[in-house]
Amino acid sequence: MTRMFREIFSFELRQQLKSPLFWMIALAFAALAFAAAGSDSVQIGGGIGNVHRNAPYVITQWLIAFTLLGMFLITVFVAGAALRDFDAGTAELFFATPLSRKAYLGGRFAAGYLASIGVLVVVAIAILMGALMPWVDPARLGPTSLGAYVYAFGVFVLPNLFFLSAFLFLLATLTRSMLATYIGVIAFFVLWQIAVVATGVRNLEHLTLGALIDPFGLNAFQVATRYWSAQDRNTRLPEIAGVLLANRVIWIAIGGAMIATTLAFFRPDHEGLRLWRRRRRVSEVQQVTSTNRTNVLPPVVLRTDGAARWTQFLKLAWFDTRGVLGGVAFMVMLAFGLMNLGSDVMLSNELFGTKVYPVTHLMTEAMDGSYKFLLYIIVAFYAGELVWRERSGRISEVMDAFPLPDWIPLLSKLTAITSVIVLFLLAGSVECAMYQLWRGYHHIEAGLYLSDIALATLQFTLIAALALFLQVIANNKFLGYLLIVIYFISGIALSQLHFDHHLYNYGSAPATPYSDMNGYGHFLAAHLWFSAYWACLAAALLVIAALYWSRGNAKGWKERTKIARARFRGPSRALLAVSLAGFVVLGSWVFYNTNVINRYIPSDLAKQQKADYEKLYRQYKDLPQPKITDVKADVDIYPHEHRFDVRGHYVLVNKTGKPISDLHMRLAVDNMKLVSVQFAPHEVVSDDRVLGYTIYRLRQPLAPGASMDFDFVLQYRSRGFRNTPDDTRVVDNGTFINSDWFPRFGYSDVPQLTDRNDRRKYGLASEVRMPKIGDQAARQFNFGGRDADWVTFETTVSTVPDQIALAPGYLVREWTDHGRRYFHYKMDKPILNFYSFQSASYTVKRDTWNGVSLEVYYDPQHPYNVDRMIYAMKKSLEHYSAAYSPYQFRQMRILEFPDYEQFAQSFPNTVPFSESIGFIADLRDPDDIDYVYYVTAHEVAHQWWGHQVVGADVQGMTMLSETFAQYSALMVMEHEYGAAKMHKFLKYELDRYLSGRSGETVEEMPLAFNENQDYIHYRKGSVVMYALKDYLGEDVVDRALKRYDRETAFQQPPYTTTTQFLADLRQEAGPQWSPLIGDLFEKITVFDNRVVEATARKRADGKYDVTLKLHAAKGYADGVGKETPGKIDEPIDIGVFARAPDGKEQNEKVLYLAKRAVADGDSTITVTVDSEPYEAGIDPYNKLIDRVSEDNRMHVTLQ
Amino acid sequence: MLQIRELSKTYANGVQALKGVSLDIPNGMFGLLGPNGAGKSTLMRTIATLQDPDSGSIKLGELDVLADKPAARRTLGYLPQEFGVYPKVSAEAMLDHFAVLKGVVARGERRTLVEALLRQVNLWDVRKRKLGTFSGGMRQRFGIAQALIGNPSLMIVDEPTAGLDPEERNRFLNLLAEIGEKVVVILSTHIVEDVTDLCPRMAMIAQGQVLLSGEPVEAIHTLDGRVWRRSVANAAIENYKQQFTVLSTRLAGGKTIVHVLSDVKPEEGFEMIAPDLEDVYFGQLRRQAATSRAA
Repeated sequence: MTRMFREIFSFELRQQLKSPLFWMIALAFAALAFAAAGSDSVQIGGGIGNVHRNAPYVITQWLIAFTLLGMFLITVFVAGAALRDFDAGTAELFFATPLSRKAYLGGRFAAGYLASIGVLVVVAIAILMGALMPWVDPARLGPTSLGAYVYAFGVFVLPNLFFLSAFLFLLATLTRSMLATYIGVIAFFVLWQIAVVATGVRNLEHLTLGALIDPFGLNAFQVATRYWSAQDRNTRLPEIAGVLLANRVIWIAIGGAMIATTLAFFRPDHEGLRLWRRRRRVSEVQQVTSTNRTNVLPPVVLRTDGAARWTQFLKLAWFDTRGVLGGVAFMVMLAFGLMNLGSDVMLSNELFGTKVYPVTHLMTEAMDGSYKFLLYIIVAFYAGELVWRERSGRISEVMDAFPLPDWIPLLSKLTAITSVIVLFLLAGSVECAMYQLWRGYHHIEAGLYLSDIALATLQFTLIAALALFLQVIANNKFLGYLLIVIYFISGIALSQLHFDHHLYNYGSAPATPYSDMNGYGHFLAAHLWFSAYWACLAAALLVIAALYWSRGNAKGWKERTKIARARFRGPSRALLAVSLAGFVVLGSWVFYNTNVINRYIPSDLAKQQKADYEKLYRQYKDLPQPKITDVKADVDIYPHEHRFDVRGHYVLVNKTGKPISDLHMRLAVDNMKLVSVQFAPHEVVSDDRVLGYTIYRLRQPLAPGASMDFDFVLQYRSRGFRNTPDDTRVVDNGTFINSDWFPRFGYSDVPQLTDRNDRRKYGLASEVRMPKIGDQAARQFNFGGRDADWVTFETTVSTVPDQIALAPGYLVREWTDHGRRYFHYKMDKPILNFYSFQSASYTVKRDTWNGVSLEVYYDPQHPYNVDRMIYAMKKSLEHYSAAYSPYQFRQMRILEFPDYEQFAQSFPNTVPFSESIGFIADLRDPDDIDYVYYVTAHEVAHQWWGHQVVGADVQGMTMLSETFAQYSALMVMEHEYGAAKMHKFLKYELDRYLSGRSGETVEEMPLAFNENQDYIHYRKGSVVMYALKDYLGEDVVDRALKRYDRETAFQQPPYTTTTQFLADLRQEAGPQWSPLIGDLFEKITVFDNRVVEATARKRADGKYDVTLKLHAAKGYADGVGKETPGKIDEPIDIGVFARAPDGKEQNEKVLYLAKRAVADGDSTITVTVDSEPYEAGIDPYNKLIDRVSEDNRMHVTLQ
Repeated sequence: MLQIRELSKTYANGVQALKGVSLDIPNGMFGLLGPNGAGKSTLMRTIATLQDPDSGSIKLGELDVLADKPAARRTLGYLPQEFGVYPKVSAEAMLDHFAVLKGVVARGERRTLVEALLRQVNLWDVRKRKLGTFSGGMRQRFGIAQALIGNPSLMIVDEPTAGLDPEERNRFLNLLAEIGEKVVVILSTHIVEDVTDLCPRMAMIAQGQVLLSGEPVEAIHTLDGRVWRRSVANAAIENYKQQFTVLSTRLAGGKTIVHVLSDVKPEEGFEMIAPDLEDVYFGQLRRQAATSRAA
């Protein structure tokens, strides 16, 4: 028996290794792995941040990802092995021999499994080699660890492939059909996606379940390493225990069970040999009929006129369309696509777990991301299938002899593919519309769905034309597929290599950014010009394809060209000439627009320019420059012409102790023209119109303390169209210009390259850090920029009569003149040199609070949360005015701007708010976190922290603005919703901080010294400030903030730093809190608190004794994640809670909550409560930064 | 001697492929003749242990074929009606592979056997060529070669000459004839000439039932003096069918010739001819059709 097994196994393995498909797949995967290991441009499973390229963690993750990626391709080997004899028709020869079932199945399975392992081995070698290549930065590599490969293979690759192979083998053997097997794989993949991704690492409630139900172990692996720092990932691998071990055992066992099932159900006999559908009916014996000819056929007329051709074309097109729609492959892709799309719309577009209204453009964007990509596969696959349909059906020789012109089949197949594209997109749109209705949202913009379908159909029809052309020319179905795949890959490769002009990428065109406020805006034009250009080429390709259309048995290039030449007559010549002419003319027109009247800058040149900027001008970083003290500007906005003019006036003052002779001016170069500039007599030393840096030399140096007028006229014009969509800030509805577009002085490091790899590539120092907190010279400058402290501000903005223009300031006067509408705004107090101009067709909601006028300017399509925003503004202003200081302005305005960017920003008394960050939030469910309230409160808080208190441009600067704004908003939230709701919010913040930590590529800093690190000043900031308030009491914290505000508001340089705040805080709090303050702000403190066991016993008097076994530890981390142990010197919350049988956590009843001294390490605490406890925990509200947030609470077992 | 007793098989779709088939097949060539759908292939597959009947038994000497399939497989060779090949594998490699699976495990022995078989079927010169390049006749010969591995005592050959040109067919039939008298060779076919030329014994099977079994010569003798032939007009064929037992109508040299079964001369214009196996065959089919119509 074993001899038979070995024979089948070795024979099958030889077949696998001889197959070119095996090597193609292996090499394709290897290339991918090699690229991922050697560079950052290919990423598998996300970026890796600061972790070594060849860290054990990274290698393991990649290898798991490849077993996943390989799912569809491994099918070829394993199912191929299972089906070999059924497809080849050799089955009966084998089963008539004494070969046993076990030996046969075992041999085939083992060979398929081994072939799959072979591919992964090739991948592993590629990863190993990729990391060793000379172009990889050695700083990104650690020691080569072969142990990691052994671990990854042993724990993940071999079991994953075993499960996969067993599954595929079972499917193939039972269904006897490769197609049915693929359907099974796709169904499995979809179910996997839904089940595993839904319970994945983001969803904190189902971690264990998610880790167990993932057959590939990816979830288990990620759960085990969730909070690992970069340091951990460089050196450790998860131990094979707990959930990970359980997962491996379960899925290996399932794999084994599948093999046993295959063995049991395998039937080598005749009936088992045919798929039941395909069993031929045993035909009845026919009567022997006579051979006389008594029937007479009716006469018909064969027509060849235009109408006949049209009918023939339509019929054939419909016939081919039905052929595609009825095909199982299409059904499978449609089902897969709909499921993928469905899960995407359901699970995405959330902030803090709260959804947005399912506006139609979000639906079409969801289709872009998770549905339309299938059309690449459908178009490419069916181009081949349709071109070969007649030949595969062995009917081609019959049809070729019909009097049908050559072009009708080609055109009908193109039409069929186009129809399929449209129907596919319609199905997706219908699914989205149904989802919208299900969510209770009725504004289904059918027009938008249809125009989205039209644009996508255009794009994919171009690809269809190319695919058909390649199939016809190649005259070999698989070569045709190979060529279209090469086209797809080359598209990706070209963009990686920075060849991003759409003129040489077939079928590509600039994107069409869409927002509800502005619709498609003026971005469609460029897209359509490029599409028309490519359509001309597509037409030419189709003409050539028609010439080479296979009819009859001509093979070989020479023969076919002869036939093509014969076919190349009047109509074809004309058509080809017209389309090529169109191609050239349109191409020139496009080129003229993108490269002549506009500048075309490929992405690598753009980076080069940023590097040049730094190399040329950073030397002037500390050159003394005057500061702006007064700004007056007349801004004329022409939204429908996408242009604006500025007539501006600055007053510049020399605030340094020395005379200033050189004035360095920065001004944007794209579309911007400095028409004129007027100031004291000067010479132009250098005028860099590429990088936007001009150096003037004053004939008479500006004396210390002296001031100078600086007048300028700017014109922003967008002409024609570009290779990438135009600037989205100057649009028909929703223009949003800010002070960055005005002339600025001195060197700024904002335009510098930030990515470390890019910086190294262009020869720059790998990182630029913020000035240290002790840097006194840097305290002369605030976060708004080096060229101003506070400025007086006045402006007149004009726009078209049906729009409202806004800028910071109180409206002095509004009037209309000569068809333009004017608004004169003036600030009565100095503001930071940070202002914006907006213009749109707004609807306005007004209210007041305490004499302060509150206004929300919004697009009439998004009225949902306007009242909420007004309410939030009132509550925030009320709280902040009492807690910190009076509000310094008489108005507060929120302005909606288009969805092209997703942020909210606080200018003086003006808050632009993106469509997507609050206006369309769906707050109908009271259990969801109201982030509209939160973001509004946060932005209002910035009027204090940022526009009263202004931090110096040193480490910790953002704590003074962002962290304080987070805290202020948190307090407003808590007063509104109660402390119980805060836990959900804080847990999200904590988790986002922890995952942000593990993505840090430079150095993590403590909160008070952070260098503009989002995950610290926002996420950690929330948690830290809440913990501070929890320990010290809200009164103490607010007192400290009030005092600090009083000391520093509206100050002139030197500006304040976190040092000053912490001193105030320490004074207000008292010396006993100084260590805690240090832990929270000046160090990176991470706890490891968990409940080991929670039990309770009912007492005779009806009360319960709750016993908690705890583990508590404190550690301090350095910037790259290395930890040293600390001592717990502050009390920690211990809590016991009761819950109604179906109750939710936010409705729980607190039976006991108090801060207790907790010993380091393991300890036991007993607490007595009045009623039956449900849950108990240490730090149950996650107020402290903890490695793992879930293990702080545990269900209490009653004894 | 192969003894088949009361073999019955009804498929899941209700078709009764075999209805109580019983046959005794001694050593030597045995022809199994019948139209498409008669149940021949079902019978062949059942004997080749690839299919289980609903009832009945098959014994090869002392061996109960249905009960001890592995033993049966060790001593039979099967050439299916339709079989495929691995197109990219050479004839020699494939034959070697099958030899191992049949049990010829020793390498030297196997190599000698493979060479002998390939020479016997005249494929030695093309042994290195890939099976995908073989013509129809070459594939059939390869099929015979694999069936002959291990000197089987039972050879089952299902419709082997369909689709072969006359020269290939001759070559193939010569091969079969060489196999020898110690082996039971069942040749299933719908080509009457194959049976006439090769088989000393035969059976006719249609609609799952055995119509006739015995020696071809004897079967032909039963029709002596009863087969008549005439050239007729197309329009008249229907009339003849109504009046007489028409065995067959065919075209010869552009004219329609009709064979009629009758104890006496049917009418003027008919001439008596010596019957052949084809007449026997058609006669049996007519009779069966008449019986089932009456039933």
